[in-house]
Amino acid sequence: MKNFKKYLLLSLSTLAIVSCSDDDAPVANNVTLEFNNTFGNETIVLGNANSTEATTNTSAEGQIHHFEELKYVISNIRLIKEDGTEIPYNVNDLDNGATVINQAKTETLQYVLNDIPTADYSQIKFGLGVKTSLNTLDEVSFPNFYAAAGENDTQMHWEWGTGYRFTKIEGFYDNDNKTLSFHSGSTIDEDPDDTTGESFIQGVDAYRDITLNLPTLATVGNSAPKIVIKADLNKFLSGDTHTITLVTAENITNNATPSAHTATEMMRFVDNIGGTGDTNTTGMFSITSVEN
Amino acid sequence: MCVLLVLASCSNDDYQPISYDNPEITLNIPEGFPDLNITATTNAPTTYGVVLGKKLFHDKRLSADNTIACASCHIQANAFTDNLSKAIGIEGRVGLRNTPPIQNMAFMQFYNWDGNKLVLENQPLVPIITHEEMDSSILEVIGKIENDQEYIELFNKAFGDEAVTNDRIFNSIAQFEYTLISANSKYDKVIREEGVTFTKSEAQGYQIFKDKCISCHSTELFTDQSFRNIGFPINTDSEEGGRSRVTREVDDYLRFRVPSLRNIEYTAPYGSFGQFNTLKDLLDYLDNGVVDAENLDPILKDNGNKISLTEEEKTHLISFMKTLSDTEFIGQ
Repeated sequence: MKNFKKYLLLSLSTLAIVSCSDDDAPVANNVTLEFNNTFGNETIVLGNANSTEATTNTSAEGQIHHFEELKYVISNIRLIKEDGTEIPYNVNDLDNGATVINQAKTETLQYVLNDIPTADYSQIKFGLGVKTSLNTLDEVSFPNFYAAAGENDTQMHWEWGTGYRFTKIEGFYDNDNKTLSFHSGSTIDEDPDDTTGESFIQGVDAYRDITLNLPTLATVGNSAPKIVIKADLNKFLSGDTHTITLVTAENITNNATPSAHTATEMMRFVDNIGGTGDTNTTGMFSITSVEN
Repeated sequence: MCVLLVLASCSNDDYQPISYDNPEITLNIPEGFPDLNITATTNAPTTYGVVLGKKLFHDKRLSADNTIACASCHIQANAFTDNLSKAIGIEGRVGLRNTPPIQNMAFMQFYNWDGNKLVLENQPLVPIITHEEMDSSILEVIGKIENDQEYIELFNKAFGDEAVTNDRIFNSIAQFEYTLISANSKYDKVIREEGVTFTKSEAQGYQIFKDKCISCHSTELFTDQSFRNIGFPINTDSEEGGRSRVTREVDDYLRFRVPSLRNIEYTAPYGSFGQFNTLKDLLDYLDNGVVDAENLDPILKDNGNKISLTEEEKTHLISFMKTLSDTEFIGQ
């Protein structure tokens, strides 16, 4: 069996190589998602504590801050036709349907969807994070995404929870550049084995489904559209749902903490950047343009 | 591609693995213990499953640099923990917490100090991939062992064919752990009336235990499996949130799973990051008063943030706790 798997993998990779070489010319059935991470309208420049180039932002509560690291996982991508039909894009295949957007790596800011059926699309949906059913750090099923997420300069494995980190933000706040560290991920777990006969569920689901209307139709087939998605990180602290004041990690019962490791407040940040999942399904995201 | 597939199928079809008899192991549920977890019956230990799990448990190749096995921290002589404050992984990397003992896992609803794992089969991956522990990956582990003849044979014996898969690795380790049942201490023999009796000090200690400890360390597992903040010295590592790391509830901040007291004589140091070297130190601390917190356990709050104990009571309590030592279990 294991030999069979190896051969299958080998064969698949051969196929992949073949497909790649076919892809040299622009393909009209590609859709490029371009992520522009901003504070307001300004694209974020990362920097260390003393950086003079880093883009700074001031929160609603007056706290100046900037980022040194900014990463998040996008998965479960769906394009919606004008008539409402949803076209899922490898939604159960993290290797071919999920990516880590990393502000420090320009090449990750564009994600190309292949072989999208010819149609006019009016809406896009995607997940910030990984849905619970796939969030198991399953290297055997999704070796490529597992490796990409686990690279030393990416660090999007949440080992103790055997899930992926959905967001990783490192930075500095206030004039004395105190450390800001935010990691989000799901801790939800189910025990089908509970002796009461009913399954027991614990933890939180930090996955958020995002829905964005396209200002102009993306016409796939005639052209290979590019959809420019803005992620306004101003909403991280000054969101539609919560206005957050950063406090030191020792003060956990206060409004919030910049250290998400101990954060009992993680979900407030998640609601701000990913929406609440019910009334707010945009979070920090919006569509800047559709280029057909 | 087709050619390759055909080749692969041929080579598989030509080979007929020998089939082995692999009987299930009956887990004897000690008197007074709760029912077995359902996974201990759906992934019921088998003769070779346990042999395989035990071999994996002791295999250092599960770590990135082949220096650390599960058994490096989970040492039988220490009731499958070690004598360190915090666990130490490859390259001397220090972990967040004290290594928990492995005993009576087939009856536990929550695993680890914060109860982050509910199903034992889901636990072995955590140390394998954690940077401060083995820092490897499951494909790396499979790659190291899948051509090892001894393993090939054991996977075949345990699971009916030679495939070395992630699930089989996790299941067999869990099967081995399900067999680690400790219920043969002096205490058990006294309760079962096997002709053994407590000494005077042990009997007095048992009475004190029933007065002052049993609300948390209840049942024959000697834990009620609840999560409580009892005001132990605080781990200042910013990763530490106790149970709130899982639930993200402020109320659960620095709450930890009540540990079993079984084999406690062998599991020093004590506390979530080994705050106390001896049982005496721990009891002195409880007697002197604990760290206050909003979510400090009501039992402590109602008693002035302490569990008052005289020196004599401490001596008796320790005598009693030592009757929970199961020498057979720790291999003496």
